[in-house]
This record gives sequence, C-alpha cells and structure tokens, in this order.
Amino acid sequence: MAPPIPEVGPEMAGGVIAAIAAFLTISILLGFFMRKKAKNFEEWLVGRGDIGPLVTGFALVASYLSGWAIFGNAGLGYAYGWSGSWLIGTICVMGTAICLVIGYRMRRYVAFGARTVPEMLRVRFESRTVQALAGLAMIILLIVYSVGQYKAMATVWTITTNIPFYGSLLTTAILVLIYLIVGGYTGTQWVSCFQGILLTIIGWTLGIAVLFWAGGPAQIAGSIGNQTFTYLGGNQTEIPLGNYTLPLPPPKGLAFPGVDYIGVIAAMFMFLFMATGFPHNIARFLGTRKITKREYWMMLLIIIVGGSTPLWIGIAGFAARSVWEGALMASEYYPMYGDSAAVYVSISAGGIPLASLFAASVFAASVATIAGMVMIMATNITRDLIHNAYPKTSPKKLFWLTKLMLTLFIAIPLWWTFTSPPPILSEFMAGSAVAQAGIFFFVVGVSMYWKRATKWGAIATIIYGLILTILHPNAYGKVVGLHHWGCWALLLMFGAALIYFSVSLATKPVSEEKLEKLFSQTRRKIK
Amino acid sequence: MYDSLKGGGTTLRKIYGLLAIMVLCFILVPIIAYLLGGWYAYWGHGLLAIVFALLAVFIRTRYYWEED
Repeated sequence: MAPPIPEVGPEMAGGVIAAIAAFLTISILLGFFMRKKAKNFEEWLVGRGDIGPLVTGFALVASYLSGWAIFGNAGLGYAYGWSGSWLIGTICVMGTAICLVIGYRMRRYVAFGARTVPEMLRVRFESRTVQALAGLAMIILLIVYSVGQYKAMATVWTITTNIPFYGSLLTTAILVLIYLIVGGYTGTQWVSCFQGILLTIIGWTLGIAVLFWAGGPAQIAGSIGNQTFTYLGGNQTEIPLGNYTLPLPPPKGLAFPGVDYIGVIAAMFMFLFMATGFPHNIARFLGTRKITKREYWMMLLIIIVGGSTPLWIGIAGFAARSVWEGALMASEYYPMYGDSAAVYVSISAGGIPLASLFAASVFAASVATIAGMVMIMATNITRDLIHNAYPKTSPKKLFWLTKLMLTLFIAIPLWWTFTSPPPILSEFMAGSAVAQAGIFFFVVGVSMYWKRATKWGAIATIIYGLILTILHPNAYGKVVGLHHWGCWALLLMFGAALIYFSVSLATKPVSEEKLEKLFSQTRRKIK
Repeated sequence: MYDSLKGGGTTLRKIYGLLAIMVLCFILVPIIAYLLGGWYAYWGHGLLAIVFALLAVFIRTRYYWEED
C-alpha cells in the first residue's frame, strides 16, 4: 500500500529548527572567521585572490543551486512529469562547464579594481554608464529571482512547523535579515563552499533514498506513464504526463516551457547560457588564485558532482507523483501545491533526520542566494549608482545607505511573495533566468574574449533584454500576442545576441592600447 | 600564447572536431527525449552534459590555457 501524505508533529518542527539553527550558526561563524582574517571589506568580498579550486568549485555549485534547483525541481517533476525535466535542468552541467571555461578570466579584472560584476564592466568598457545600467538590470532581475527563494523557504517552514504560510514567510524574512546583519552572507567564498558541499550531499542522499521509497525507477516510470496532468486546484485533464512534452491548451498553456519542442529548445539554450549569465555565479572567479590544469579538472569534477544534484531533486518530484498522484495539486495545498512534494517525500522516506537535513539544505540554498542577491542589489544602488554618480560621497554614508537598502531589498520580494506567491516557483524563476542568460552571457561572458565588443553594444543589449523581460507571456507578453514561452525566450536570448554583435560592430571599441592589458594572450593571429 | 595558435591548421581541425562533438551532444538531447523518453532520456541528458563538459574543459586546458 502506498504511504500516505505525512502528518507533521512537534518533534519534526524541533528537528527542522535545530538543523536550520546549526546550518546558520556554522555559516555565520565561518563568515565571522573569514571576516577577521580579511584586512578590509573588499578583501572580505573577494579574498586576496588566493581562493583555491576546491572552494571556488563548491562556491560555484552553491551559488548555482538556489531554491529552484534544490527545492523547486521536485515541484516541476511532480506537476509536469517528464516534461518538467526541461526546467529541472538535466543538461545544466553543460552551462556550468561553460561558466568554468569562460569565468576564469574574471580574475584579471581584480587587478584593475573590479570587485563586482558591474565594476568589471566599467573596467572592460571604460564606462560608468554600462556599470550603472548593469547594476539596475541586476536589481530588477534579482528581485524576481528572490521571490522564488522566499517561497522555497516559507513552504519548508510551513509544512515542517505547521505555522501558516504567511507567518512562515515573515519568519523566513526575519531570518534572512538576521543572517545579513550578523554578516554571514555569500560574499565569503568559504561559507558558500560549505553550503555547496551540504547541498550536494543532501541532494544526492534524498534522490537515492526516494528512488527506493517509491519502489524503484521502473515503478516510478510506470506510474507516471499512466497519469494525466492536474491543474492547480485539482482539476484532472486527459493530457498524459508520460511524454517529454506536455501539450497544454493555448493560449495560457503556451507559457509552459515544455509545451512543445520550441519551448524545449529555448529551455536548453537558457541552461547553456544562464550559469555564465548569473552575475552571482561568475563573480565567484573574482577571488580565485592562479590554478594549474590539474586543479582546473578538479573544479570540473566538483561541478559535475554538485551540478548533478538538481537531477536528484527532480527525482523526488517524480517519486512523489508516482506515489501520491495529483493529490498535492488540490486547493487545500494552496499556495504551495506541487512545490511541497520534496518536503513531504523527505519526511515520508527518511523521517525526521532526512527531513531536517533537507529543510536545512533548502534554507542553505535559499537564504544564501537571497542574502547574496540582497547584498548585490544594495551595492548596485550604493556602489554602482550613487558612488558612480557622486564619487565624493563619504564611505560612512555609503555604508549606512547600504544597510538601509538591505531592508528595502528584503521587503520588496517579500511583499511580492506575500501578495502573489508563484504557483510553481521554478517556472516563475525561469523568466528571470532567461533574461540574465540573454543579457549577461554576452555583455559579461563574451565581452571578456571579444575585443570588438563596445559599450554601445552592451548598453543596447541590456535595454533590449529588459524590454523583452517585461513581455514575458505571463506579464505583458499576452497584450502583444506573445503567448509562447519558447518564442519569447528565443527572441530574448538570440535578439540580445544579434543586438550585442551588430551594435558593437557598428560602433567604436575601446582603443587597442587600453585593451592590451585585458587581452594580452589573444594578440597573435592564426596563420 | 595559446597552444592552438602554435600548431596552425592541424590543431584547429582537431578543435573544430571536438566542438562538433559538443554540438552533437547538445542536438542529441531533444532527439533522445523524443525517441527514447523516460529514464533513458533523463539520465542520457545528464551523461551528454558530462561529455560536453569534459570536452569544453579539455579544449580549454589543452589548447587555450592562459598563463598570467
């Protein structure tokens, strides 16, 4: 007989709170310890350029595995069956490998004063406008991304402690604020490294455990093959879950990436570009020391092992679907729905120990990501906008302004989640991911290797990317007839590429002498 | 100087060959999803991604290694 959806008692809440408290304490202590070692704030942000491959590799894993990968993937597998795989990111290792190959050059920019991605762009294009615009774009896109993190944390908290969703949301926001105030955010590579190891171990453990719990791979595949799609609220359809596309009825159904192979191709390109396009990802290389070829391969191994974690979380969703069918899509599970699958599965498959560790890992992923993003957004305002426009502003003023901004950027996504929680968080976050992929893969990643890139190319790409973001099928896209997610995503990413290259070729680049310092090894032409 | 720039045409041909395999890994993803489906496609995608990653890092370390 299939195990029932578990009821949660007070002992579960105790275990979860203890695990989360332990995680936060270790993170904060690590943050404090490394802060003590650093001579100043900048050194704390990127170290002394002495971070090795192990720490960089796992820090990259941690920044990549947000609430989407470590939590939301189960919701995708649960709600959409095999067609959810396209957003689960079965090919995400391709993207992280590209980030590894491209991102290493970021460290060159540290020597010229860059400590953040927008600052790197200022150095590359000798333009404060590009720096400011990139900072602004990051704020907009990261706010959207933060909403998903809140939902992940609040869902875990709600299920494991029985506190209502909105109370849980508030509790998690307070935890994020405390985490930021005491200084334990992802700026420290060592904290991220610890979190990356934690997420990898727990993600793999959960995935393997639920495979057995649900009766094995064949049982899971057989069960999914016999089921049909369930709408939020519990309405059953005749659309089978057993295929890699899910032909949901238009126009609303077209907003799902797995609706057809156009959406599939778009999702694949998103995963190819986004690891490099995520500013919080590529920034990991700012503190990396010079590494050997052998160490480079070691980083790849870490990325392959850590980067496979999302696949195991997706399995948790498939397992939940095979055992409980569409029960979690019923209205009594509002607003968590399928996103609650991973938590219930962890409780049912591994009891308090596994559920507590999984809850701590979701917090590790979400708190770290949200805290890192809030910090990036706050410094985007103070460092990339205010200090950029008024260089004489005193450091003390900037410091206090940053603190004020922290509260603001915690509150904005919190309010968003409060008033309009996304039904399937990964699907929601994919909108922001496409924009970050389309804009920053080219503006940041390609610009480090392509001398001919110009500031006008970068500016045009950022503006285009932001306009297209607003035209997401679930935002204003439907007003102009853009209902299809795949078409929208391809238009954003490849439109951004076209604009980036064409505008760059049509405008004047930074002089050869000035670029020499950044492109010293690409001078010789192939004969 | 990059190693790829030392060898001339032969080295470039090798690089293009490796890049072609990477492209193939990418193209095969939707094809195996359509033709095989289920777990074969799910883990097949992961495997193709790993091959892609190994080749990307091989090209980087063998032909485009950067010394400070």
